[in-house]
Amino acid sequence: MSLQILPRGKWVGARVKRVEDPRFLTGEARYLADLQIPGTVHAAFVRSPYGHARIRRIDTSAARALPGVLAVLTAEDVATLPPLASGLPIEGLKPTPQTVLAKDKVRFLGEAVAVVVAENRYIAEDAAELVEVDYERLPAVTDAERAMAPDAPLLHEDLGTNVVYQKVTTLGDVDAAFAQADRIFRRRFHTNRFVAAPMETRGCLAVYERASGQLTFYSSTQMPHMLRLFLSLFLGIPEHKVRVISPEVGGGFGQKMTIYPEEVVIAYLGRVLGRPVKWVEDRRENLAAATHAKEQIIELEAAVRNDGKVLGLKARLIGDGGAYSFNTASALIEPLAAAGIIPGVYDIRAYQHEVIAVCTNKSPVGAFRAVGWTAAQTARELFFDEIARELGLDPAEFRRRNVITSDRFPYTTITGMVYDSGSYLESLERALELVGYEDLRRRQGELREQGRYLGIGISLYVEPTAWGSEIALQAGFPFPSHDNATVTIDPTGKVRVAVSVHSHGQGHETTLAQVAAEILGVSIDDVIVEHGDTDRAPWGMGTYASRSAVIGGGMVALAAREVREKILRVASRLLEVAPEDLDIQDGNVFVKGAPDRSLSLFQVAFAAYLDGRVRAEGEEPLLSATKFYDPRATYSNGCIVTVCEVDGETGIVHLDKIVAVEDCGTMLNPMIVEGQVMGAIAQGIGGALYEAMVYDENGQLLTDTFVTYALPTASDVPELIIEHLETPSPVTIGGIKGIGEGGLLATPASVAGAVLDAIWPAGRAIEQLPLTPERVLAALGGETGA
Amino acid sequence: MERVPITVTVNGRRISAVVEPRMTLADFLREELGLTGTKLGCEHGVCGSCTVLWDGAAVRSCLVLAAQADGANITTIEGLATDGTLHPVQQAFWEAHALQCGFCTPGMVLTAVALLAENPNPSEEEIREALSGNLCRCTGYQNIVRAVQLAAQHERART
Repeated sequence: MSLQILPRGKWVGARVKRVEDPRFLTGEARYLADLQIPGTVHAAFVRSPYGHARIRRIDTSAARALPGVLAVLTAEDVATLPPLASGLPIEGLKPTPQTVLAKDKVRFLGEAVAVVVAENRYIAEDAAELVEVDYERLPAVTDAERAMAPDAPLLHEDLGTNVVYQKVTTLGDVDAAFAQADRIFRRRFHTNRFVAAPMETRGCLAVYERASGQLTFYSSTQMPHMLRLFLSLFLGIPEHKVRVISPEVGGGFGQKMTIYPEEVVIAYLGRVLGRPVKWVEDRRENLAAATHAKEQIIELEAAVRNDGKVLGLKARLIGDGGAYSFNTASALIEPLAAAGIIPGVYDIRAYQHEVIAVCTNKSPVGAFRAVGWTAAQTARELFFDEIARELGLDPAEFRRRNVITSDRFPYTTITGMVYDSGSYLESLERALELVGYEDLRRRQGELREQGRYLGIGISLYVEPTAWGSEIALQAGFPFPSHDNATVTIDPTGKVRVAVSVHSHGQGHETTLAQVAAEILGVSIDDVIVEHGDTDRAPWGMGTYASRSAVIGGGMVALAAREVREKILRVASRLLEVAPEDLDIQDGNVFVKGAPDRSLSLFQVAFAAYLDGRVRAEGEEPLLSATKFYDPRATYSNGCIVTVCEVDGETGIVHLDKIVAVEDCGTMLNPMIVEGQVMGAIAQGIGGALYEAMVYDENGQLLTDTFVTYALPTASDVPELIIEHLETPSPVTIGGIKGIGEGGLLATPASVAGAVLDAIWPAGRAIEQLPLTPERVLAALGGETGA
Repeated sequence: MERVPITVTVNGRRISAVVEPRMTLADFLREELGLTGTKLGCEHGVCGSCTVLWDGAAVRSCLVLAAQADGANITTIEGLATDGTLHPVQQAFWEAHALQCGFCTPGMVLTAVALLAENPNPSEEEIREALSGNLCRCTGYQNIVRAVQLAAQHERART
């Protein structure tokens, strides 16, 4: 298959305003909570107030007696529904089935124990409060290392352990590397548990038509077709009678991948009650019960030469998986993904890693932008900075001495990742240039003499993108991939592009229209992109892991190209020239070199549908094509440099600016790329300085509102300077690479690195994020921050 | 619970209704009037997604009871564009790519409208501070700030 099928003309690469914006700007866009279907009843979940407890008894009588209540269900009532479990075929991964309503015991605060359905949400919540649950509290364990101890409280008694995975992998001659080292360094990090917190919480609406047996299920989901598949299997409804519609989605970031117990319960209720059943999560539920992410304990060891060359690495990565190894990608989503990326952009040929996944009494861990890679990047970059300082090397220079240079591509890492192309050193140099690195170092010295702490943090990263089969496997996950796009031209020459990816803010209605418009020679105003409805969009996996530009762009290009050929064949018969002599521009099909000999696309399409004389034997006249794309592995890269000043009295970090030089290959729309980068950087600032899910030792969640879980605001994000490098991928259609996660992957390391760079002469290392003022002051005080 | 009669002007339309005392203004707008442009992001007054204009001032409708709005003049996002023409702030958000998922956008736009009505030439710091009560998880805020600056610029050029 030729990959060079994406021309660059008017549309691809242009900073086009988003075509979807008007409906969002005027309040017309409908998200799940906005859908209003007559007769809808509302569900509210009763959730465990404890981190670990046995359920002795549930009394629903008072709840059921409340006027306006239609039903109250507990685990008993949904016993026919199968539990959710990870289907990932990874050897040695122990399953932890999760019943859709808690049965016998609860394992995390917020776990759903019962569900109430009532005429409106107010009554449903009133009734939920009337459900009496008799709990017998159990000792909880909220620290992953404590959970590994043989005498730790067990979450899943039948497993006999809280450890669901443990494996050591040795790559290259690690012993020799450590024997030859001049210096050995060690550092332990505990990265913070933080969450996607999309502004729109989860929600779903089940509409079941009894006579036809048809279920229409609306959900704020990133994966409509997979949700349809799961619902069909779990509920026993034939798949051809299930339709899933994901309406506008107010952010997902991985948290809205399939499938949640609540979705299964609501679908079940829809069928049982025969009225539309709607559930909209409130923020407390979202913070407590939607999947968490990012928390790992990572111990690193490095074998280093005196000149700064890293000869080998060892890593022990413990993923704090929460109460269940969640069905989407299991508790390995953090530590296993992290293990693969520890070497990063550096030329490391000896590496040993131990991946451990542990259950604790917290919300289960799922995917969140830059799965596992954020924690790995944070640990490794901070570790390298420390090593550099110990060796008397500038951190930038240390990186130069270890980075994979561009003459080495394609580069196969010791962990089996094949870096197709990139600009690691180039992005470092450009970022340093943009930030004025030399001047900053001088300024840092001057300010130090005044007792002020200026810091520069460098985070150099590679980013696995566009999860198709190959890269998922390289990242450690045998995750399936299957996506399709259908491009159709209607009789009047208008273009429909139906895709299996699903936008939840990424602007696909514009970027994928740009691809179709470029190839078909029309304006994007004549293109509509359809997604999110399983009845209208062809089968596919949905959107996550930065896959839509590569996969969406690629499959739209393939389908559009085939439709273009059909148009040219028809036009060639109408104009009596060879198809190769024709071109299409601005909706006109014309003879190259004789542009007055032309037909509008309207005329050609109309004839294609309704004029039998332009058809030929063996051709499919319909102006439509459906194409599949599962791409080769492609990796983006970049460098994020943060400049900050730390207040020595208060420990408060003032961010001065953040420079991001990123390379995602061929860009469909630079404006959209920048938006993704900036948004991800802001999330990274949250992860570095403000955000943490905090549980006490009893499994009580202390951070369950936006008052205690602090997202960055407009006042917390400094000037962001974004620049692009463009190193196309040699292995994807159009050379496109994914973008979207790099900012979150690399920013915590950059911000934390800047803080440590600011304080290091005065203080000690910090091993825990977020860098709250307390932790910063403790580090300045010379003791390791807790 | 004794229901309470209210009369409230919403987007220029005078509406009479009878509401439960505990119904929030946000729920009243969304559920009773079908004006779902106003969003619920936290229901505890932090995220700003529920922002509406109340006699021109930016107010968190999740923290106000519908009963309290008796006699008030409310503008929601649906009331901003006139005769199909986008308000300058809406137009500026579009040009500056100041929205991605769009969920925080109604609240952001109305907060910006309120800011510019009070301060037609705000500094970047003033804009960030005024918007600091509106959370956005997608954009990183920079384009939103630019949109407000652009809108202010257009307004100044026009007047």
